[in-house]
Amino acid sequence: MDRRAFLQTSAAAAAASALPWRDALASTEWRTFETITRVEVLKPRGVSRAWVPLPMTDDTDWQKTVGSTWTGNAARAQVASDGKYGATMVFAEWRDGEAAPVIEVTSRFMTRDRAVDLGKPVPNAERLAGADRAFYLAPTELIPTDGIVRKTALEVTKGAKTDVEKARAIYEWVVDNTFRDPKTRGCGWGDIKSMLESGNLGGKCGDLNAMFVGLARSVGVPARDVYGVRVARSEHGYASLGVGSPNVTRAQHCRAEFFAAGYGWVPVDPADVRKVVLEEPPGKLAVNDPKVEAARKRLFGSWEMNWLAYNMGHDVKLPGASGPKLPYLMYINAETAGEMRDQLDPDSLKYTITSREVKA
Amino acid sequence: VRQLVVLAALAFAAAAGAAELKAWTGGATPPLVLQDLNGRTHRLADYRGKVVLVNFWATWCEPCRDEMPSIERLRQSLAGKPFEVLAVNIGEPLGRIERFLEKMPLGFPVLLDRDSGAAKAWKARVVPATFLVGPDSRIRYVHYGELDWSSEPVRKRVAELLE
Repeated sequence: MDRRAFLQTSAAAAAASALPWRDALASTEWRTFETITRVEVLKPRGVSRAWVPLPMTDDTDWQKTVGSTWTGNAARAQVASDGKYGATMVFAEWRDGEAAPVIEVTSRFMTRDRAVDLGKPVPNAERLAGADRAFYLAPTELIPTDGIVRKTALEVTKGAKTDVEKARAIYEWVVDNTFRDPKTRGCGWGDIKSMLESGNLGGKCGDLNAMFVGLARSVGVPARDVYGVRVARSEHGYASLGVGSPNVTRAQHCRAEFFAAGYGWVPVDPADVRKVVLEEPPGKLAVNDPKVEAARKRLFGSWEMNWLAYNMGHDVKLPGASGPKLPYLMYINAETAGEMRDQLDPDSLKYTITSREVKA
Repeated sequence: VRQLVVLAALAFAAAAGAAELKAWTGGATPPLVLQDLNGRTHRLADYRGKVVLVNFWATWCEPCRDEMPSIERLRQSLAGKPFEVLAVNIGEPLGRIERFLEKMPLGFPVLLDRDSGAAKAWKARVVPATFLVGPDSRIRYVHYGELDWSSEPVRKRVAELLE
């Protein structure tokens, strides 16, 4: 490359990197990823069990599962489902006396970026009726749809007529009124009633996107959380919206969707807007920072698929577990001698998740 | 649309002694029409009258690689009998499969499930997933996970199907 061409290229690259939301090349192409989740139950006593979430079972136009496999020393293992949301997982069990229970689950899946043009209804868009519609309007244990939740949502959506307008109003309210609290353990459990009652609207994705889902459901807009893990860096120039290394053990992230007639399920992620505010370098950006504004615009209606979706389950009863229901299944869970290990402490439980893109 | 996933009991190689083929209770046998590496189309229906071992696998799947030699041993031990193996590779490029076969030559056809459509129809979301199909073209047994296919209990099951 001659000097002139080099300077032009460098200038173009510098200009591109300065854009708030850099459009990725070939973002409509499918990419294949592999995750390897290794779980060790430390200091086992009696029978040990572990539950490892698997990629979402149903194929969509933004994620397809290729397959999963595993190795280890479990006495038995099975693919299990929560039975209500279709959240799938590997359930492994070790006999009393197994000194070093271990299981390694490898999953391959394909993703491509997802965007819905909310200015153009699609004639053959997915429909949601009857039981499915009721399912995604129903309360969960931590996401009630009455009382303070509905009261807040009615105020937030005042004047909004369509489901898209209501969802938009809720999205903007979540972005403007909540904040990402770095001290929240894990991703937060999404106890939105307590958040609203206490007035403490800080949390992480499990809280902030659950807030979006609960407020939406309470005013009749079907919505759902989608739980998963980030698997690659962001191609749009946001360090805070991707992972910087193959180790994604602590990169769990949940997103949200709402349903609108004429469009189907619409991806949103108000929690990631707040993540950009807090974490995007140099950090603690103003809400009117161009990078925040660009992310805010994009994250209503699109998802960058540098992320693996596990499931959409709430109040998940782990098959074979002695413990209570989980608010959701996004982490590795394990128990030994009937006692659940702390799923938010990968060092206590000892698990690692690595990710890599698989090139043809 | 919500879909409940059918529980699939799986056994580990580590528990090989206890590993047993599970009787198939998953309903009708899905069709299987796929091309092999040479472009020849294989239809499960064309194998009617034979016992067929349908193995869904991938090169990135360690248990799949580990159990392959035992499938080959089973096939060789049944030479001359109405027994066939169809190894269905899930969604991998031809070059990668060919490189794998250079290291591990197999005496049975490898079929290409390029879009994973067959794997989904057969509910083979985890691999290896292996089905024993009877001479009537109906799935009789299934096993998810690694297994020693040349072990005595497995040979016995296959022999029963061949009777």
